[in-house]
Amino acid sequence: MTTIFYIIRKAVKNAILDTFKHPARLILYGLVGLSLIYAVIMGFTMNAVDYELSKDIRALYGGYLALLHFISIPIMLKGLSSGTSFFSMSDVNNIFVAPLSPKKILIYGVGRQLLSMMFLVVCFSSYGGMVMRVFRLSVSNALLLVSGILMMFIFIQMITLVIFCISSGNPKRANLLKYIIYAIPIYTLTVFGILMFKNGLTIENLFSSMSDPILEYSPIIGWVHGFIFGLVNNDFENIIVYGILLLFMIIVCVLVFLYTKLDYYEDVLQQAENNYIFRDSIKTGTMSEAAFLGSRKIKVSNLGIGKGKGASAIFYKHLKEGTRRSRFKFLNISTAVLLGIVLVTGIAMDQLLSYNPFKTTIIYIGVTIICSYVQFFFSASGDWVKELGKPYIFLIPEDPVKKLIMASATSIIKPFIDAGISYILLAIIVGGTIPDIITSILVYGSFGCVYIAANVLAQRIVGMNGNRGIFITFYMSLIFLLMVPGVFLGVMSLAHSHWLAAISATVMGLPIFFWNVSISLIIFLMCRNLLNNVE
Amino acid sequence: MISVSHLTKKYGRFKANDNLSFTVKEGEIAVLAGPNGAGKSTAIKCIAGLLRFDGEIEICGYNNKSMDAKRILGYIPEIPAPFELLTVWEHMEFIARAYKLENWEDKANELIKKMELDNKRNKLGKELSKGMQQKISICCALLISPKAVLFDEPFVGLDPHAIKELKAMLLEMKSQGISVIISTHMLESVDEFWDRVFIMMDGKIEAERERRFVEESGENLEELFFYITEKSVTTRK
Repeated sequence: MTTIFYIIRKAVKNAILDTFKHPARLILYGLVGLSLIYAVIMGFTMNAVDYELSKDIRALYGGYLALLHFISIPIMLKGLSSGTSFFSMSDVNNIFVAPLSPKKILIYGVGRQLLSMMFLVVCFSSYGGMVMRVFRLSVSNALLLVSGILMMFIFIQMITLVIFCISSGNPKRANLLKYIIYAIPIYTLTVFGILMFKNGLTIENLFSSMSDPILEYSPIIGWVHGFIFGLVNNDFENIIVYGILLLFMIIVCVLVFLYTKLDYYEDVLQQAENNYIFRDSIKTGTMSEAAFLGSRKIKVSNLGIGKGKGASAIFYKHLKEGTRRSRFKFLNISTAVLLGIVLVTGIAMDQLLSYNPFKTTIIYIGVTIICSYVQFFFSASGDWVKELGKPYIFLIPEDPVKKLIMASATSIIKPFIDAGISYILLAIIVGGTIPDIITSILVYGSFGCVYIAANVLAQRIVGMNGNRGIFITFYMSLIFLLMVPGVFLGVMSLAHSHWLAAISATVMGLPIFFWNVSISLIIFLMCRNLLNNVE
Repeated sequence: MISVSHLTKKYGRFKANDNLSFTVKEGEIAVLAGPNGAGKSTAIKCIAGLLRFDGEIEICGYNNKSMDAKRILGYIPEIPAPFELLTVWEHMEFIARAYKLENWEDKANELIKKMELDNKRNKLGKELSKGMQQKISICCALLISPKAVLFDEPFVGLDPHAIKELKAMLLEMKSQGISVIISTHMLESVDEFWDRVFIMMDGKIEAERERRFVEESGENLEELFFYITEKSVTTRK
C-alpha cells in the first residue's frame, strides 16, 4: 500500500503546486470555492420567514428519490461496462505492471473516484439551504439530506466495486447485472406510473405518488431514501428496517470483494484508452470522433460519399459520417433527450395551466426556453468542432467562408430537425396554433446557430490551442451577450402586443429568430478567415 | 520549389522558429533534422499554412496560404488524423471531391496498392492501426499530385514494407521534379535519398549541407549532427 499512498500523496501535492503556477486557474478555483461557501452559508443562515410559500414536502420526497437515481444508476452502469472510469492510462502503464495486489489497486481506483465525487457533494450542499427554506426544514434535517447524498456516493462505490468483481471477464454475468440495475429505475417508474394512472393525472396525485413509501422498496436507492427520511421524520421503523438492509448490503459487498479472485486488467485497458482519448480531446479542444465512439462497432454499408465538389464535399462527408453514427442520420441521443424534455415539460405545464386561456402559447414559450438552454450541452460536439481536429479542412483549396458554412451545415440543420419532430409531437398531445409551433421550431433552431456562431467567434478570438478553461468561459459569455438583444426584442414585442396574446410564442419568438439568424450570419462573415490556420 | 524566407514563429516570448531561410528546389529532397523540440514540426506546419508566422513562404511561387499553393501542396502530419467514420476508399473520394480532382480512381487504386491497404479499403478509419492510419495520410496527400510535399516524421509507426514503398515513392517524386521536405530526428532513415539537410537546434538552422559537398569532403553527417546538438546542450548546462 506504501506505493499507492506515495502516488496519491505526490499527485495531490503536485496538483496543488501546479495550480499555484497557473494564476488564472487559481483565481477561477478560488471564485468557485468562495461562491460555493457563500451559497452554503447563505442557504443555511437565511431567515425562513422571508419565504411565505412553503412547498409541499412530498415534492422533496420525490425529488430526492429522483436525485438518488440520477447519481447512482449511471455510475453503476459505468462500473459494469467492463472497465470503469476510475483508472487512467498512467495507472494502466505504471501501476498495473507493478507487483501490487489487484485488490489494493482496485481500492485505490475506487477511492480516487470517490474523492473526485466529493466536489459534487459540496455542490449539492449549496442547494441544501434552498431546500431548507422552501420546505421549512431544520438545519439538522437539511444536513441529513446532504449526508444522504454522501452516503449514496459511498454505497455506490461499494456496489460498483462488487459489480466489477462479479462481472469482469464474464459477459453473461455482466449482462445479467445490467438487467438488474435497469430493474431499479424501471421499478420506480412503473410503480410511480401505476399510482399516477390509478388515481388520475392531478397535481395532488402527482405529489402523493412520488412520496409513496412503496417506492422505497427498490434496492439500495430506495433503502437510502427510506433510511434518511426515517431520520428526518424520526420514523424509527424506517430507520431500523432500512438501516439493517443497508448494513446487510455492506457485509455482502465486503465478503464478495474479499473472496473474489480478481483479474480485471484486460477489461480496464480498453476503457482506459478510450477515456484517455476522450479526456485528451476535451483538453485540447479537438473533439475527435474516436473520443465519442470508443470501441463501438460500426456497421459499414452503403459505401461512398456520392456527392459534393470543393467545400460541399465536407457537408456530404458529414452526412455520410452521420449515417454511420446513427441509422437515422440526424436523429440521435440529442433528439431523444429533446423529445423527452419537450414532452415531459409540455405535458406537466399542460396539467399545471389547465385553466389558463392562453395555456398552449405559454407552454411553447416555456418549453422553448428550457430546450434552448439544454441545447447548449449538445452543441459542443457538433460536426464542425470535430472537423477542426483534422488538418484537411485547413488544407482544402476552397474559400474559407464556404468551408466554414459547409462544415457547420449539419450542426445548423440538426436542431431544426430535432425541434421539428419534438414540437409536432407536442402539438399532437397538447395542441397549439400553427404559428406558435413553427416559430418555436425556428427559435430553437436559431439558438443552435447562435451557439455555433459563438463557438466560431470564440475560436477566432481565443484561438484553438489556448487554455480550454478560458475558452469555455469566454464562449459562454459570448453566448449570453449574443442572445440578450434578441431576447430583449422578443420580450419588448410581447409587451406591446396584448391583442395577439393567443399567439404569444410567435410574437415573442419571431424577433428572437430574426436576431439570432442575423447575428450568426454576421459572425460567420466576420470570422471568414478562421480556417486560414489552426491557431 | 519551396522557398522559406525569415520564418519566425513565436509562442508568447518563446521562439519555436527563429529567422529560418532556405530553399528546396524542384526534384530535391530536403531534410529538417534535429532533436525533439528543435522546431522541425513547427516549421513544417508553418510551411503547410497551418500556423501563423512572421516571414514569407512560397510554394512554386505562390504564397503558401493562397488557394494556388494549397492545390499543389501535400502534407503528411506527424500524428495521423483520419476520419474515424470514413472507409479507406472514402478518404480518397473525399480528397478527390474536395480538391475537385478528375479521373482520380486509378491513382487512388495505385496508391492504396502500394501502401498495402487494398484489402482494407472498406475498413473505417477508426478500425485501423496507427501505421495504417499513417498510410492513409500518405495516400491522401499524394492523391492530389502535389508539386511540393511535406512529411512530418513520416517513418514513425510504419512497417518495413511501407517504409520501403515510401522510400521508393520519394525517389519517384524526386524524378518527377517534386520538392520534398522531410522532418526527422533519425538521420539513418533518410540516408539513401536526401539532397540537402538542415540541422536545427533551438528553433534555428545551425548547419546546412548539400549531399554533393558531404560526399566530396567525406564529412560524417551523424557526427556533425551530434556535435551541434550536444554542444548546444552542454552550452545550456
